[in-house]
Amino acid sequence: MPSATVNSRRPIELLSRLASDEPEVKVRALREVKNQIIGNRTKKLSFLKLGAVPAVAGILADSADDVMDSNCDNNNVNNILVQSATVLGSFACGFDAGVQAVLDAGAFLNLLRLLSNSNEKVVDAGARALRMIYQSKLAPKYDFLQRKNMEFLISLLNSENENVSGLGASIITHSCKTSLEQKALFDAGILRKLDSLLEGGSLSQRDASLESIAAIFKNNPEVISKFAGPEIGRPLSSVIDLVKDRYPRTRLLACMCLIVIRNTSPHFLQDLGIKTTLIHILLELLDDPGQVGYEAPFAFSSLIAQREDIQKLALEANAIDKLHHHLQKGPLHPRHYEGILLALADMCSKLESCRSKFLSLQVLNLVTDALTDNSADVRTAACICLKSVTRSIKVAALGAICNVVVDFTTRKSIFIQCGGIKQLVELAKSMESAVRSNALWALKNFVFLADNRLKEDVFSELTASMLSSLICDPEPCVQEQALALVRNLVDGYINSIEFVFAEDGLILGAIGRQLQSSSKAEIGIQGMYALCNVASGNEFHKEAVMHQLFPQTGDKNQSYMIKFLLSNDSQLRTATVWTIVNLTCPSSPGASGRLEKLRNAGIVSQLKNMVNDSCVDVKLRVRTVLGQSMGFGDN
Amino acid sequence: MPVRVAEISAPSQVSGTISRHTSPPACTLLSVGQAFSGTQNVSSIQKEEAWRVNVRIQGCDLEHGYLCGTMEALNVPMADTPIVVTFWEGEIVDTKNYTFFTGKWDASPEDDKRHWTKFPSFLPLLSQVEIDGGKSLDLSNCPYIFMRWKEQYFVNVGTDCGLTIAGFYYVCFSCSDGSINGFYYDPNSSPFQKLELKSTNEGRSGFSFSSYELQ
Repeated sequence: MPSATVNSRRPIELLSRLASDEPEVKVRALREVKNQIIGNRTKKLSFLKLGAVPAVAGILADSADDVMDSNCDNNNVNNILVQSATVLGSFACGFDAGVQAVLDAGAFLNLLRLLSNSNEKVVDAGARALRMIYQSKLAPKYDFLQRKNMEFLISLLNSENENVSGLGASIITHSCKTSLEQKALFDAGILRKLDSLLEGGSLSQRDASLESIAAIFKNNPEVISKFAGPEIGRPLSSVIDLVKDRYPRTRLLACMCLIVIRNTSPHFLQDLGIKTTLIHILLELLDDPGQVGYEAPFAFSSLIAQREDIQKLALEANAIDKLHHHLQKGPLHPRHYEGILLALADMCSKLESCRSKFLSLQVLNLVTDALTDNSADVRTAACICLKSVTRSIKVAALGAICNVVVDFTTRKSIFIQCGGIKQLVELAKSMESAVRSNALWALKNFVFLADNRLKEDVFSELTASMLSSLICDPEPCVQEQALALVRNLVDGYINSIEFVFAEDGLILGAIGRQLQSSSKAEIGIQGMYALCNVASGNEFHKEAVMHQLFPQTGDKNQSYMIKFLLSNDSQLRTATVWTIVNLTCPSSPGASGRLEKLRNAGIVSQLKNMVNDSCVDVKLRVRTVLGQSMGFGDN
Repeated sequence: MPVRVAEISAPSQVSGTISRHTSPPACTLLSVGQAFSGTQNVSSIQKEEAWRVNVRIQGCDLEHGYLCGTMEALNVPMADTPIVVTFWEGEIVDTKNYTFFTGKWDASPEDDKRHWTKFPSFLPLLSQVEIDGGKSLDLSNCPYIFMRWKEQYFVNVGTDCGLTIAGFYYVCFSCSDGSINGFYYDPNSSPFQKLELKSTNEGRSGFSFSSYELQ
């Protein structure tokens, strides 16, 4: 036999040998391809480009037919089937382009046929290859609702061969999406089968079952309660036991399964012990090298997200310290980095105590480093983490205080110097309403309690005409933020009320028009507070507000004031009454005249009906107005 | 009235797993941006000293019974600088997150009772507080909000400025007019230093409200 030379290993050479009629040559070539591509993405890609997959798929197809032919040497045929299936499986392993190529080459059905072959090794190779395909999102959708398909699935799960039963489980994990499918699988007794694999199966079967069980339970409280129903805890107890299994991947999958159950049906697994165990196991798994360690923080996030009680337990278990420790260890695999950052974000999403811990450990620096990472996913995760931490009321408050006490080089003025205001104002002109709204939101927070100089800078950049058109923006969310921005602009130093009078009262007019036409409570609240703030000024200001509230004398139409006072929204009622408090403030000379107008508009009698308003805030302000009005002599 | 010792020693923080609408009402006068002005004074046999105080609410999270703000003290006797600014954090007694019993800061339940009873508006609540710290009180219609304010840091001076922030204030806030009364408690300072503040309009004739929201 000629010895293999270096040249004969080149892909093109190998492919030509695949086409050989001699079975032994074929087999050796297949083995060679397999050895070259295994774990080597670059090699897989180059073989792919040369059309290796259709070639091997063709070999598989021919040999699958040959099995039928009793004249053939079964040994050779089986070898070819095993090797070609293995090669296809390898192409599909962790490589979506490979999966697509295998499917496009029509190999799927032939691989399925291998599962009914009499030779154990052939079945095994076929099952493995199919499992690789089913790990990818590109795998074909399995229709569980067809009876034949369900029967086939059951036969897979019942197989002694762990790759075959594992395939059955992979199919479920991949394809089971709808509640109808989940119910069908439950009704066919699949859960019982999977549960028995948890107890009596091999490692690989246990892992695959855990994933499938999670897929059947996900978001389906009905299936969960049916399964765990009368024998609460018993079926779940095998999953719970596996949380402490000696294999890390099994522990992780068991945790993930319990988390799915808990998130779908929170009344299960309320036991404090389970919550604490899950937290400890997942935090420990963070240390595991490789895939398990990378996926553990994501599982941890799904456990704690939105759940203050668990976040508190996790804080006590030193979760933030542990996550911090991982960040310090760097450099990190991008998936690990992303997971840790998102876990920190979830930890700090609700509790001040967590944010305080985060800040005290000085994790912030490590997170801001991640803002410049090569991976976009890591950068995004860093942003999410920062956003979560800076939601701290204390942090925001301290930031504001910085501005008050330190006169020079405050964060705000640096922001201005770097053109931050210009950028925000540009964004307020965006075509996207969400961008306009968020830019205004940022500006609103920016001018909150700001000194007049800062407000003037913002106002001159925005301009009265732009602000008034934003108040009348087609989108309510934009209107609301624009009105809130005005509200903040006119608060504080009394001269800042003048902003709404700029350019012949453009903004004041816009507020009035918007309050007239809008039916949304949020708009009413912000607009009313803007008017309320203006009405806390001098006589001229108060009269201007009256003019907005009662535009035409002798107008029979009910002022929107009455509508707002009758609103179900207590904040809107409060804002409206405060405005009236300000308009009738006794220290102002024109107060009695305004009170008269309000009385004529039926507002005073409406207020008398609100003396026992269900909202304490409203009730107290109504009493303030009525108290003030008594001082004018008439009741 | 005999009081069970076990109940009295209940800590001030209560885990609020049951959602009851018994917390004090939200009040616009106690919200972010609102300012208050008045005096703090020390009364002793020898003399009476007073100084101006300005307070501003900087943050508010009613669900967790938390608020924070700044306190500015002007011309405090024995201080090195004319203005001393501190940052404080408050606990709202809402029977959900916090009760009338402090449970920390060297304040015993006896200290607590001694201070709360100095507020006339507290007296109707006293008997229930003696039984269970006030945990079963329904404060949702109460026109007063009770809090503890603890100064955490000096903002514009060092810790050697001659003043102490070791203690905390028992505070009673009136929802109807925004007035604030408080008593400073610090085992190492003159007792019952009184804080009296009113809602300020900062030159306006009426009330003005800002909006600050975190997304």
